[in-house]
Amino acid sequence: MKRTLFIIKLIFILLILALAIFPVILSSHSWPVVSRDYLYENALSDTGAVNTVSSIYLGYRAMDTLGETLVLLVSITGTMGILINLGRENEEEEAVSFSLAPEKRATNAQRTHLLEVVASKLGPVVLLFGFYVMLYGHISPGGGFQGGVIVASAIVFLALGTETQTKLTNTNVLGRIESLSFLVLIIAATSGVFFESGFFGNPIKSGSSLSANFIILLNIIIGLKVGTSIAVMCIAMMGGRRGH
Amino acid sequence: MNITHTILFSPVFLPLIAAAGILFIKSFCPTSIRRIAEYLGILIGMVLPLLLVLTLYPIVQNQGYIETTIGGYAKSIGIVYRFDGMSLLLILLAAAITLPSWIFSRKEGPGHSYFTALLLIQNSSIAAIGMTSDLFNLFVCLELMGVTAYVLIATGKKANAAYASFSYLMISSSAMVFFLLGTFGLYKITGSLSYEAIESGLETLSGRDQYVALFSLLLIIIPVLLRVAVMPLSLWLVDAHSKAPHAVSALLSGVLLKVPLFALLRVFALSPLASSLALPISYAGAATALIAVLLALSQSDAKQLLAYHSISQIGYIVSAWGLALHAGISTTTGSLLLAASFFHAFSHAQFKALLFLTIGKATDAANNRNVYTLRGANQALRNMGERVPLTMLCFLVGALSISALPPFNGFYSKTLVTYTLKGSLHYTFLSVASAGTVASFIKLSRIFLPSKHPMVFPLVKERKRFPVSSHLAFILLALSCLAVGLFSEQTILFITGLISPEEAQTYDSSFFFTQDNLIKTSITALAGLVLFGIAVSKPGKHVLHFLEKRRGGFTDLFLGFATALGALALFAW
Repeated sequence: MKRTLFIIKLIFILLILALAIFPVILSSHSWPVVSRDYLYENALSDTGAVNTVSSIYLGYRAMDTLGETLVLLVSITGTMGILINLGRENEEEEAVSFSLAPEKRATNAQRTHLLEVVASKLGPVVLLFGFYVMLYGHISPGGGFQGGVIVASAIVFLALGTETQTKLTNTNVLGRIESLSFLVLIIAATSGVFFESGFFGNPIKSGSSLSANFIILLNIIIGLKVGTSIAVMCIAMMGGRRGH
Repeated sequence: MNITHTILFSPVFLPLIAAAGILFIKSFCPTSIRRIAEYLGILIGMVLPLLLVLTLYPIVQNQGYIETTIGGYAKSIGIVYRFDGMSLLLILLAAAITLPSWIFSRKEGPGHSYFTALLLIQNSSIAAIGMTSDLFNLFVCLELMGVTAYVLIATGKKANAAYASFSYLMISSSAMVFFLLGTFGLYKITGSLSYEAIESGLETLSGRDQYVALFSLLLIIIPVLLRVAVMPLSLWLVDAHSKAPHAVSALLSGVLLKVPLFALLRVFALSPLASSLALPISYAGAATALIAVLLALSQSDAKQLLAYHSISQIGYIVSAWGLALHAGISTTTGSLLLAASFFHAFSHAQFKALLFLTIGKATDAANNRNVYTLRGANQALRNMGERVPLTMLCFLVGALSISALPPFNGFYSKTLVTYTLKGSLHYTFLSVASAGTVASFIKLSRIFLPSKHPMVFPLVKERKRFPVSSHLAFILLALSCLAVGLFSEQTILFITGLISPEEAQTYDSSFFFTQDNLIKTSITALAGLVLFGIAVSKPGKHVLHFLEKRRGGFTDLFLGFATALGALALFAW
């Protein structure tokens, strides 16, 4: 009885939602071209980025990128808060939780020699590639977010691969880099106010060849921010090396 | 780029600078400096932008709005921000509630630096939502506001706080996917994301594209209304608001429910297709006010009762808001209705924040949240070291405000709402709901009655100190309730002046203390007493117990969403 009711509800929900989105998805209206043509002509001179995607997400719509970075920051803060709370929570309270029981959370339970060797050898290479994607974001596909995630995965590799803790896998150090890069990001975003170009304006807009510098700067900061914060979260989920 | 435009963005970037500074100092400096940094952060991030923005008041009154793009790019491609009266009002609303909640949170938890930083980021997103004139930027800012809300709810120490946060996250994020689809639809047919260009693009549409536009607008409107919690979309609210820490509950009911609603005004202005949807929404609001108050009356948990009241009061706001859009915001009736709607939103924010904080403090002191068994909450508070029963007095201020008794702000705002709605079906619904509000607050006030069996508290050797910060937060909110009530005419003129300057000149406040209105107020209070009598009688208890068990599960969240979408689509067809 309960099951049939559940299935009826589910079918009803899916049906309504499908009916509501079909007219939007199936519209045969031709794609707009105004913005495309505008970007084709002006993107390079406006922002200095050869890669038009970069000119959109760090130039014209940098505010949205800042918003997404903040979403990531807040959600990682929340995740860390829940993880730390759960670590402290005493076992007698049967709260709904999203993590494994403490005894099932052993850090080294699944550690094998094969994993260690592969991860520790792969780590530095991936790290280098991450920085490449980050630094060349204004020319080739990539950029801060993508590079940051690759850097984070490299740090996770290194954390998996080595028994001993290095500076790079220490959550305290990573947390410091994270907060520093966040502060620099906000300062960079607002610096345009003092250079006559306004909030999120390009403050180094002097020559024609120089102006990509701002995009490169933003890519690096966002990459560091994303990379370190995701790495901190992953290391905390792997069992938290905070105390070591 | 002139100074006005810098000031315009200050409520967006100053809180972010402050938040970044707090996080930076947290990871680099010792504890003593962190404390100072938090106070400084609140000062720079919340008080300073407020003062700066108020300097724009004369410009807004003369020109109507200030418009600029972020980064100084061309208007056709950049993000357009438009600062008008409503943006100023929303920034004011956010600051007026966030400050007392933050003061309260210092001692009553979760008063750590992450919490302060989150509050600042949230305030920045609220300011951006109030100003943005770009559909995708609205999406990003709504997501940011939402994500801070989920995290703040999850900081609650109650069991199931994580679950409440999770179900809100799930329904709200799924809904935002549809918002994105709607944005996609509008971009495809108009080729732009800024409101102005979409508006002109929609004017020239014909044939099948009209349906695409209509459904895209629907997909944008419903997810935003989900954040506002109008009735079929309100199932997530009760858990989220009652399980969160008290300071966060105050903030959630006070600010986060209203900001999306007033941001939606600009979306509705995009096309006449959208404004035709306003009428059914206003009916949904009136029904919400009535149904939620009955559910509130049936609750036994004090904070859940307050949460249902938030839904009910949102119903008032939404019904006036919907009728304002139906009449057209620029018309005389429309602007008065909108002013009434915002005024009620503002006073609701004040008294509901006050109620959440005082009830939260009292139930914590007594360690009991059940309205039926908790008595002598005042004794419990005194045991915590409170000498003057300020918590009880401030609670009474809040209760009288929400029950719409003079001279508090609730009386003026509710009267303004019902006066402007006179003659419609909404009026009947809302009048009945007012009686229900009175009844449920009589029920809630009983927790301060002296208990028959004097409570035995373990003797504590050292005298506990009652935190001054809590009292300060209570007094701030209670005084502002009273002040808005006493200076109601100036407040209404201020709000109307910002919404439409011409109407402010013709406004007449003589209807508050007419014979009719006073009779109506006393009848409502009497009806509330009678309703309370019925509620505590045996058959009444039976019915209420039945109602209390009517709670939706996780699937019902989505069922509500689909129902609302289907109903509005059917109406629009």
